[in-house]
Amino acid sequence: MHCTIEDLVALRDGEGSVWARRHVEQCAECQAERERLYQRVAQLKALPALRPPRDRWSAIRSTVVAERSRKRLRWMRGGLAVAAALAGLMIVRSQKPVRADELAQAKQQSAQLETTLRDYDSDSRVMSGREADLTAQLEDQIAALDGQLSQLGDSARADAQLVDLWRQRVDLMQQLMQVHVTRAKYVGL
Amino acid sequence: MTLSLSVPDILVARAKSGDLEALEALYRAFETPVYHLARRICRTPEDAEDVLQETFLEVVKSIGQYRGEGHLWGWVRQIAASKALMRLRAEKLRATDELVDEAAGAPPPSVAAGIDLERAFEQLSETSRAVVWLHDVEGFTHEEIAERLGRTVSFSKSQLARAHARLRRLLSPAVAGS
Repeated sequence: MHCTIEDLVALRDGEGSVWARRHVEQCAECQAERERLYQRVAQLKALPALRPPRDRWSAIRSTVVAERSRKRLRWMRGGLAVAAALAGLMIVRSQKPVRADELAQAKQQSAQLETTLRDYDSDSRVMSGREADLTAQLEDQIAALDGQLSQLGDSARADAQLVDLWRQRVDLMQQLMQVHVTRAKYVGL
Repeated sequence: MTLSLSVPDILVARAKSGDLEALEALYRAFETPVYHLARRICRTPEDAEDVLQETFLEVVKSIGQYRGEGHLWGWVRQIAASKALMRLRAEKLRATDELVDEAAGAPPPSVAAGIDLERAFEQLSETSRAVVWLHDVEGFTHEEIAERLGRTVSFSKSQLARAHARLRRLLSPAVAGS
């Protein structure tokens, strides 16, 4: 009676029975079978590397960039709510009412663009790496502006500067809008 | 398969900070060994490519959790193996696949002419290939394989023994017939 493959695999892994260990020591046939087992595993380890037929990095990168944009957007919307609240407070306190109309107009434009952008829902559509980069840059700039708007809350010179910052925000959002419109046209949406 | 898999610590640090260039460098360093592992287990090249992509999305997401204990390739390999085995677990045809493996009594026509190890290995079921590859080539324990497959350690051990028995028959038809 000879060792089974199961016996030999177990022996190789240090788990064989005492009987199997003693038998292999004395049996040339089982020693040869064990050697073939070692050879098979050595040959499997030496098989040539299989390389991926296509580069997957661009797809991975686009997914990562889109995920990061999504996180920025969430943060940006939170910052925008804070900034809008602070701006509203400043209008009430403003010493220069003439600016109030301009500020309200810029804020209204910004809010309209925000609503329209939401309709484009960037999460549900495929973006190229370049578009994702551009979108991320614009969203970063908008987020930075929102940070400035938050800091201007109690500043005495906030009124004029506030209008200017809101106009810059509208401009950036229009650029962001353009990216989405161009992409939508390109894919026929 | 012999590839240099060493990665400079500075590159890992940059990747952990989210630097996309550093993450791409990691992808370039490990894309072939990850695909190689996945392709040896998965049924099709497309499945292996999907495992490659899923593995690196997980690497990007979780690289911050890598503490530098052990080689980075060991960490990436664990993720790749998990992704490949998750796919295998989800494979509805697995039960049928195992039945095919059991029906090894009548060798395929190619056996008569003699086949090489790589082709014989491809004739094993996905489960058998996964166990042989992860245990004998990549060095995973039966406990690690069983956990990822959602099966017992005994199942992993018996799959390994059966796979070797079948490889032996496929590679030595004269012995198989005796």
